[in-house]
Amino acid sequence: MYGWMGKILRIDLTEHSYEIEDLDEDLAKEYMGGRGLATKILYDEIDPEIDAFDPDNKMIFATGPLTGTGAIGSSRFVVVTKSPLGNIGNGNAGGAFGPEIKFAGYDVIILEGKSPDPIYLWIEDDKIEFKPAEDLWGKTAHETEDQIKSQLAKESWKKRGVHVACIGPAGENLVKVAAIIVDKHNAAARGGIGAVMGSKNLKAIAIRGHKSIPIADPKAFKEVVSTLLDKVKDTPFTKNFFANGSSGILHIYNEVGMLATRNFQTGVFEKAEDIDAHLITEKHLVRNRACFSCPMACGGMTHVKDGPFAGRAERPDFETTWVFGADSGCNSIEAILKANNLCNDLGMDTISLGSTIAAAMEMFEKGYITEKDVGFSLKFGDAEAMVKLVEMTAYRKGFGDDVAEGGYHLTNKYGHPELFIGVKKLENPAYDPRACQGIGLNLATAARGACHNKGYTMISEILGDAVKIIPKTDPFATEGKAQLTKDLQDDSCIFDNAGICLFLLVNLWTKEILEQLEPATGAGYTMESMKLVGERTWNIERLFNQKAGLTGKDDTLPKRLLEEPMPEGPAKGRVCKLDEMLPEYYKLRGWDENGVPTEEKLNELGLD
Amino acid sequence: MKEIRIDFEKCTGCRHCETVCSLQHFEDKINPALSRIRIYVDMENDMHIPILAGPYTDAKCTSRYATVIGGKEYGKCILCRAACPERDIFFEPGTEVPLKCDLCGEPPDPACVKWCTSGALTFEEVDEEKEEETA
Ligand code: SF4
Ligand code: SF4
Ligand code: SF4
Repeated sequence: MYGWMGKILRIDLTEHSYEIEDLDEDLAKEYMGGRGLATKILYDEIDPEIDAFDPDNKMIFATGPLTGTGAIGSSRFVVVTKSPLGNIGNGNAGGAFGPEIKFAGYDVIILEGKSPDPIYLWIEDDKIEFKPAEDLWGKTAHETEDQIKSQLAKESWKKRGVHVACIGPAGENLVKVAAIIVDKHNAAARGGIGAVMGSKNLKAIAIRGHKSIPIADPKAFKEVVSTLLDKVKDTPFTKNFFANGSSGILHIYNEVGMLATRNFQTGVFEKAEDIDAHLITEKHLVRNRACFSCPMACGGMTHVKDGPFAGRAERPDFETTWVFGADSGCNSIEAILKANNLCNDLGMDTISLGSTIAAAMEMFEKGYITEKDVGFSLKFGDAEAMVKLVEMTAYRKGFGDDVAEGGYHLTNKYGHPELFIGVKKLENPAYDPRACQGIGLNLATAARGACHNKGYTMISEILGDAVKIIPKTDPFATEGKAQLTKDLQDDSCIFDNAGICLFLLVNLWTKEILEQLEPATGAGYTMESMKLVGERTWNIERLFNQKAGLTGKDDTLPKRLLEEPMPEGPAKGRVCKLDEMLPEYYKLRGWDENGVPTEEKLNELGLD
Repeated sequence: MKEIRIDFEKCTGCRHCETVCSLQHFEDKINPALSRIRIYVDMENDMHIPILAGPYTDAKCTSRYATVIGGKEYGKCILCRAACPERDIFFEPGTEVPLKCDLCGEPPDPACVKWCTSGALTFEEVDEEKEEETA
């Protein structure tokens, strides 16, 4: 096999034993890798009904055939597991941990069971060690990585090749918004997957490899990557991401009136200028940082020199800037940086945590919770309260214990479920679908819950004229959005399965992935067969959710977005008209009117 | 004479240079461990420092030099370019054959320079006399 390493590492955490298995070639081709392959393995190997924290739940770490090859943006691996929210959980991350899995010789690592004591795994090619982690338990992600590297290597130059994925205190404390932190500054975040790792008593995986990824047609591969690099390196989007990170496009969403503000009470943040990404660059950026093989380098380190939020922090991505900014009504970039750093260090998903805090803020302002519940005042825009609550959540201190359960449970506990803005118990990302219909359909139907990255329709509805990859469509229209959403969802699976960062979609598309995938693997993929891989991935996630007990009724949006008209801005007076799109979407997907995949469809995809 | 110049201030740590270098020399293999350029990632100071593989040496040196880059001091072994028995970089894993940068690739630019889009690596004419003055 080329592109793939052809090996699966299966780890039994209960017994502290492992096996190295061959990756079935046909299976690899059918699902490509990453998210698709991992979901297929999970679907075949566990009962989707089990509790996320049951030792029988498994965690699948999977790379794609392009991960680590030097294909543009080929930094990604995914973690798939049954989520504490009750559905399929997955999170993907960049950095260079994913590529290192390949260099160690594996496409997939399967974690089974539960270790009797806290441990971390040390994987160096074929050598697998189960190391005690009692002294790491309770440590932050940054401390954990430093300490593990010091244990494994004395000299600085030796530490350089070791990559670490770990949980912080949040994952240990089974916080439902806990993430897995990778290379200190990247997170496989959503759906509380960090808590699953905590439930297995697994603090970290440290990995280092010396093996080679075999390439089918190296000459052609080198040429196509060179050509694409030339094309991608100077585009306006690359320049913007390089200069300001992914937050560099935040103002666009505010201008079109869809930057969710104060827990989605409106789509216009009047202080958006105060949190504009260029301010972070000008005031605090130290240096850019890229994930493996990425010319966009949207990451970077910032340093706030003084004030209450002083310290170093990773440059926040778009969603983080939004959630600790507009969604919390907060206009302090320093507070956003601080909150981001705490999330990375304590191991939490910025989107879900920030959204839950925003919901709590609205409950507080409406008088549904009081200072007696929280311990302090929690109004929108109160940066210090926000940052304090981030920390309290990781340790489940006081009111943080309620926040740690996520927005769905928090709002229900205090009797106001209508203030939970999320789908399938997962909190919404930044985009208000009242101002952009297609994304509403995507959020409603994505298997892991409200996730923009599963079908980023804004690439057409909002950015269409600038990106010029697919035609611009009218964000307020519902016609054609079922098809657009389905297409983008299937295409996004290809990014995730191949191992390419989805942010690259501002520069390249599945055609360019195929141009790199073919010389790398020689597997005979075509645009059509790739499309089927995408569709297969989408459907296997659907089947998993179905078996876990979810139905078509879960394909919906919060009432606020369906019924309360947008109060101001370009989308004033609008709601998301999901019912105009959903039936057509089901039809296009080959699902019945209840959202159940038909037998013909499953046959066609080989999923029967 | 042209030389690869390194501007570490611009390096993003993407390691694209490492991947293409291995592909260039081992034809069908991608593997940073086979590369003749390696990025030292200094997490504490947020520095990414490219190191080009220099000559092979059969014994560990006694140098006490520390290198200062961007105001940060680096111990002698970290930034050294030698393929030296003291360290495991710049040796081919398995065979332990030393690796040295040979300015590979198709003109005008070496392979790693071509794939470095940040401007950290450039291929430039060096004025040898001037070099000596500043050195
Ligand atoms: S676009 Fe940003 S997040 Fe994605 S791979 Fe590149 S540097 Fe990483
Ligand atoms: S010039 Fe060639 S041999 Fe030297 S580091 Fe660059 S890619 Fe490797
Ligand atoms: S390709 Fe350039 S920017 Fe990337 S790691 Fe190498 S020297 Fe640094």
